[in-house]
Amino acid sequence: MSSLSARLLVSVSLLLIFFFGVTIVVLDSAFREAGEQAQEDILDTQLMALIAEAEPNPRGELEMPFALREPRFGNLGSGLYGALSDETDAPVWTSRSSLGLDVPYGPRPESGAHSFSRVNLDDGTPLMALSLHVQWELANGDLKPYTFSVAQSLDSFNAQLAGFRRQLFTWFGAIALIMLFSISVVMRGLLKPLRQIESEITDIEAGKRESLSDDFPDELSSVARNMNVLVGSERSRSERYRNTLDNLAHSLKTPLAAIRAILTEQQSTNLTDRVEAQIERMNDIVRYQLRKPSTAKTESFGVVAVPVDKELKKLVDGLHKVYKDKEPEIRVDVTTGILFRGDTGDFLELAGNLLDNACKWCKSKVSLTIRPLPGATIDSGGMSMVVEDDGPGIPDEAREALLQRGMRLDENAPGHGIGLAVVKDIAASYGGDIAISGSALGGAKISVTVDPD
Amino acid sequence: MRLLVIEDDTTLRESLCRQLAEAGFGVEQAADGREGLYFALEYPVDLAIVDLGLPEISGLDVIREVREKGKTYPILILTARDRWQDKVDGLDAGADDYVVKPFHYEEVSARVNALLRRSGGWATSVLSAGPVTLDTTRQELKVSDSEIELTSYEYRIIEHLMMRAGEVISKTELTDRLYDQDFERDSNVIEVFIGRLRKKMDPDNSLQPIETLRGRGYRFALDRNQDS
Repeated sequence: MSSLSARLLVSVSLLLIFFFGVTIVVLDSAFREAGEQAQEDILDTQLMALIAEAEPNPRGELEMPFALREPRFGNLGSGLYGALSDETDAPVWTSRSSLGLDVPYGPRPESGAHSFSRVNLDDGTPLMALSLHVQWELANGDLKPYTFSVAQSLDSFNAQLAGFRRQLFTWFGAIALIMLFSISVVMRGLLKPLRQIESEITDIEAGKRESLSDDFPDELSSVARNMNVLVGSERSRSERYRNTLDNLAHSLKTPLAAIRAILTEQQSTNLTDRVEAQIERMNDIVRYQLRKPSTAKTESFGVVAVPVDKELKKLVDGLHKVYKDKEPEIRVDVTTGILFRGDTGDFLELAGNLLDNACKWCKSKVSLTIRPLPGATIDSGGMSMVVEDDGPGIPDEAREALLQRGMRLDENAPGHGIGLAVVKDIAASYGGDIAISGSALGGAKISVTVDPD
Repeated sequence: MRLLVIEDDTTLRESLCRQLAEAGFGVEQAADGREGLYFALEYPVDLAIVDLGLPEISGLDVIREVREKGKTYPILILTARDRWQDKVDGLDAGADDYVVKPFHYEEVSARVNALLRRSGGWATSVLSAGPVTLDTTRQELKVSDSEIELTSYEYRIIEHLMMRAGEVISKTELTDRLYDQDFERDSNVIEVFIGRLRKKMDPDNSLQPIETLRGRGYRFALDRNQDS
């Protein structure tokens, strides 16, 4: 079930069925019990009235008067029946209403006790019966046992109960339907901003709009804001890719033109060397463009922080393998737990180029120090990275030229190659900088900073 | 020394293999990761050159698998990707060095020689034991400072024996290293070459640089000099 409103409606329906079901059961049983209690009270009153009207005759037997005060005892089929029986359970008197009917009054109770029972007439009509067993004191002082019984048809009570239940179901059903309807209307209203976001995103995809509007409810406005950041970073990324591709294609054209010129020259001297030089130039162009930062600072959206120590360990292990003959001592001093906020590849490019250069030029010692920038925390991404070696160092006049190499690819500085230019580019894309100076170890000292997020 | 080259670009692979073979290496070649992995595990290999972007099985996975199966020979990565992340991944997977494409053959051969030398426990490219020195870059053998003329087969044998000085090398292993797979093999030839080498290096039989261990093979018997 993928729709939020469908999920909500189904859950609400299930809840309503449960709660209304319980309510209906409780109300129904309360109503039935109250009704039955009332029925019992009525029967009790009728029984008392019957006892009050019984009179002993001169033979010492109880007799009922011909006409009772309760007329329903006298009416055929009134639904109210009465009987008086003696100790042998033989009826001494039965009400006229029970004429032709064999009304069962249930078992005879103990002496002096009431007993209610549910019985059925032969035709299935349900009755509630009440019997009372008494010892009647006759005029001569003798005690004679009699049983007074009354029974009343439950037809009308049952009809009342059924009516009540019908109403119960009708009302609750109606309420449930109204609730579900209102909820679905409310849901439609609540989900409207989501549908709006969806259609706006479709518009962005189709190029019909630049970004999402900002009139969303509070809960969604941060989603919309992040979405806009994402859209913006995607756009600038694709722009950067397009620029890179453009630069790449154009800068390759010059060496291609040069090769063609060399090949079409009438008497080409040292052809191989000259073509080789152009190939080297093209290779440098491609390498430089490929190693440029993969993220710009503004695109850091969704980037996972890089644990510096872990990545450095892999890098240093790798360098030890590559420089196994030289076995430089690489001293790594990194603030524990410091994080680089950006692309892992960019971090490795920074540290890899600097350490590789240092290993290449050092006599035996290389040192790498990474510290948070003053005032920055270890997880802010702001850090300074200093790589030093004990090699020949970089003369003052060459320093600026080295850093410019990215822009002037025809420059041919042996050794440090395009690595430093790449480092400079990456540092700049993270809002940082690079500086070249002399190290206390005797060689070059390269300091790179990366700004906090 | 037998090399395995796994590279999918035909021009590049064939050119590289031809130059390595000219330099005196026995070369086996594979054009994809699956075949390469099979050769790497089943053939006698002293060093493998593996391209990272391979069809079927990636170069990284080939390297991991080779290392997992306990093979310890050096592995040199060829890669068009020269971001540090790719290099670090390759080295982390078990490679020993890398060369970035496009490369010059000299670059590859220098790395190959260095790796082979290192895997034999030598620190420099000049292997020296007693009065014998073998310059692996110039392919020159000297005994007591006088150069000895060698054929390319003789050179390969003495290089292999000296590279692993002190170890016993079986005749089969030497044959494997000497010939390409499709050559007809004849182990008697090894005996002839060893005999010739002994005669050339030690005409008066006083040095005895190559020891024969009956039924087991040969051993370069001179102790390595300290600083090499």
